[in-house]
Amino acid sequence: MHVDFFDFFRWVLGTVVTIYATVVTAQSLYGWYVYLGGQERYVSLMRRYIMLQGLRLRIKTFGGDTLICILLTVVWILLIRAHQLVARIDPYPHSDGSRAVTTR
Amino acid sequence: MGQELSQPDNSAGAGREIVLSAPREAVAAQAIAGQAIAGQAPSRQLAELPKDELAHLAESLGLDSTRFKTQQDLVAGVHGRRQLIAAMDRQAMLDVVRWGRRPVTINATKEQIAQEIARVRSMKFGGLSHRGLVVLSLLRGVETAEGDPTPLVVRRLKRQEGIFSRMNRKRRAVLGGLVASIVGESNPAPDYQFLPDPNAGDGNPAVAGSARPASIKDEIEESGLFGGISNRIKKSADQFLNQKLDEIEGRIDRKLDEIDRRLAEWRDKEIANRIKILKITLWASVIVGIFSLIYAYVTEYLVRPH
Repeated sequence: MHVDFFDFFRWVLGTVVTIYATVVTAQSLYGWYVYLGGQERYVSLMRRYIMLQGLRLRIKTFGGDTLICILLTVVWILLIRAHQLVARIDPYPHSDGSRAVTTR
Repeated sequence: MGQELSQPDNSAGAGREIVLSAPREAVAAQAIAGQAIAGQAPSRQLAELPKDELAHLAESLGLDSTRFKTQQDLVAGVHGRRQLIAAMDRQAMLDVVRWGRRPVTINATKEQIAQEIARVRSMKFGGLSHRGLVVLSLLRGVETAEGDPTPLVVRRLKRQEGIFSRMNRKRRAVLGGLVASIVGESNPAPDYQFLPDPNAGDGNPAVAGSARPASIKDEIEESGLFGGISNRIKKSADQFLNQKLDEIEGRIDRKLDEIDRRLAEWRDKEIANRIKILKITLWASVIVGIFSLIYAYVTEYLVRPH
């Protein structure tokens, strides 16, 4: 059995990191949801204050970095697409029709 | 701004209506204060009051309750006084309040203003407008018409004061002068300012003010030696407390602003940090992706299996 260690590392790392990040993010969001969903006076105050802070946030301050993140995401999607295209490349000459086309 | 309010004159029994002009807030306050029991005439409500409360009400409106022999007379007197107040010009009443430096809000009801006017004992009428003088004389029980000349109204007011009261006032004035010279008070009084509206809730210090009399001499003349001095001490203490409270409020406001500013800074820093982490992750993903692509291309295409 042939194992491509680069592919193996890539997929394992990607899977572990994705699951870890998802779990940690979900936990954090749920914690905030439970805290801010309270009916106490000060929780309500905090809820409104956070909303106010959000409204007072200036997009211009973080606009450049956000744009870079969006462009990098686009590049990353294009790279995935490029990977798919490379995987479909048939390395064998099959002009005589005797060999099968490799597809993944 | 102004609003007309019709008030039926029940005591006369002739169905006469007194039409008066008052601000909307004052009208609302009057409606709340004056109609505690809906559907009942004011005189009926007054008659239900205990005797001491009725006497207190009469005193607060400037009536001498001892002059009324029976409770019915007192009720009629209070009712008549209320109607007199309702018929008065509000601006003229405010003139008296400014002159007497009594603490009222700008939207106080006529009855509240009249209660403050009833506490004014001063007999120095300098600075008081003619219409204010007429209002003051009416509230002090002096029969005066709008067209009466000012000297005549002043003379009637002085005559109404009585000899003993005048002598006592003169004595208090001399005493007040002595105390003022001992204390060395020479500061001129600041301009009158109305109290802030308690319903406004903003406590704007620009409109807040005290009704401090012009001098300690006047105060002693009005309230006597101990009354004047105690009033002055009380007002000084109030002023000191107000000043300290303002300072504390200002300090709390500054601290809250500082907290808000720091929170905003922390928020910006935190968001910038998160975006930076995201950017580094994306850069790493893209670089690794490019390497992976090159690797795949090389292994799948260039290094052909034989």
